[in-house]
Amino acid sequence: MTATTRPTTETASPSPAVAVLPVTFGRVLRAEWIKFRTLRSTVWTVVITAVVMIGFALMMASLMRLAADTPEMAEGMNNDPGFQSLGMSGTTVITLGYSFAQLAVAVLAALIVTNEYSTGMIRSTFAAVPRRLPALWAKLVVIVLTTVVVIALALGVAYLVTLPILDAANLSVDLSDSEQVRALGGCVLYLATVAAFSLAVGALMRHSAGAIFTLVAIFFVLPLIFSIVVAASDAAWTDWVNKLLPSVAGERIISTGPSSDVLLEPWTGYAVLAGYTVVLLVAAAVTLKRRDA
Amino acid sequence: MIEAHGLTKRYGTKLAVDDVTFTVRPGIVTGFLGPNGAGKSTTMRMIMGLDRPTAGSVTVNGSPYAQHARPLAEVGALLEAKAVHPGRTARQHLQALAATHGIATTRVDEVIELTGLSAVARKRVGGFSLGMGQRLGVAVALLGDPRTLILDEPVNGLDPEGVLWVRNLARYLAGQGRTVFLSSHLMSEVALTADHVVVIGRGRILADTTVQDLLDGASRRAVLVRSPQATELAEALRRDGAEVARRDDGALMVTGADAARVGETAAVAGAVLHELTPTASTLEEAYMELTADAVEYRSEEMTEGAPR
Repeated sequence: MTATTRPTTETASPSPAVAVLPVTFGRVLRAEWIKFRTLRSTVWTVVITAVVMIGFALMMASLMRLAADTPEMAEGMNNDPGFQSLGMSGTTVITLGYSFAQLAVAVLAALIVTNEYSTGMIRSTFAAVPRRLPALWAKLVVIVLTTVVVIALALGVAYLVTLPILDAANLSVDLSDSEQVRALGGCVLYLATVAAFSLAVGALMRHSAGAIFTLVAIFFVLPLIFSIVVAASDAAWTDWVNKLLPSVAGERIISTGPSSDVLLEPWTGYAVLAGYTVVLLVAAAVTLKRRDA
Repeated sequence: MIEAHGLTKRYGTKLAVDDVTFTVRPGIVTGFLGPNGAGKSTTMRMIMGLDRPTAGSVTVNGSPYAQHARPLAEVGALLEAKAVHPGRTARQHLQALAATHGIATTRVDEVIELTGLSAVARKRVGGFSLGMGQRLGVAVALLGDPRTLILDEPVNGLDPEGVLWVRNLARYLAGQGRTVFLSSHLMSEVALTADHVVVIGRGRILADTTVQDLLDGASRRAVLVRSPQATELAEALRRDGAEVARRDDGALMVTGADAARVGETAAVAGAVLHELTPTASTLEEAYMELTADAVEYRSEEMTEGAPR
């Protein structure tokens, strides 16, 4: 049957001309954006992410201010090797919240896919976009762009609200320092990549609880365990596993301290995380195309 | 137009759809009838490209569903109530799907009105009843003004008025020259709505015929006989080649001989007749007979003389 044999609905139908256009990536992107902004849970998670970033910056700034006023506390900080390795600057203060914000971002990105499977929405999505992959890439664009905008805005707000406090503590965000600029941009880049990574995990696992458990393990529990193991053990493999963990490698891009002999260089570390992400996205695309919805 | 060729779907060791071939034509309502678990939904999901066939192929309006540039203008499907995120409103759900095909908001509001959802369109779907969810599913199916409609158990959960509405809608859409493929596990529903019927059981096509032919062909005529000499009469009828079953109340159900022959046989055998009633099997009986061997989940019949 060809398109020319369209039945006589033009005259009989109550809606003589329903304009239906071909599915394009731009249209799928618009649809995914509508889906994203019409769920309260996603809107709330985005707000929480920004609040966490700004809240931690304020907390840390106040702490530094307190330290500047309290000589004993400043001395304690100066003698703490862990604290020294941070290479404390204004940038360190305003980006500090990323390690908690990443959990919110990871959960949000995974849920964008898994909630469609748990509710059955995925079948409506694939009925409208039966080629499937445009829907996955559109979700990717939505979550990555949203993360970039929200984190950039949160950093901007954090910069403004901590400015007077940091001044008093003799700290500043120095945009002429290339390392600080790299760390600020790196914070946005890292969280956007975590979002892409988590979206892929969500698409591969399809179950909300399983995906969230996996992501919390990868971005929170494993680094915690390995920071203890590395300190306690002399085995070389623990160093290697630790520095290649997605979060440990990726967050090097936000570091401003002196380079470390047990961790990767900033851009190398980020490249490792980006590599994992690409592999997961390809796997997600292949399985999404193949599996029954 | 839907054309399935050798369509097969296997889940592990279980063959859900077994080498199914059929054609659904435009301009009429085609019923897809079968017991629960017969493979109706799986077949419909394969038509929509949601499940990948193990073997065989299926096309809609000439191409596999996924290859159409405007899928929603080709096929509108109601595959299950509430393939919807409960946190969105009905209108938001429709708008998101409409956006994929650049369908205007005016059309979204049109299908909302057409399906009687105006009052609840801005309420979140999570609070919808099964019937409202079903209406939203129909609204989604109509959104792209499709040439082909696939409705999986559309009357499930609808009140009598809703059932009538779906029936009229299906016939109206077919009357406009569209292809309407509607599944049900209820013979009576299909008989009221469809012109043609494809019967499926245990993944195989059992019949592909007009509804009228199915009723005529599958219905078997029987004669109910009551006689004080039932035993002798039964023997005489069996010698004549008829099949005789004795009912609990002592009456005989005779098949393979019409009322006249039963009467004649009784006269020859000298049996007194208290009742002689020709009966036609009902729609449901015809359907049960056809699918008797193809029912996956059967309730055990109560055995006679079972302890009470």
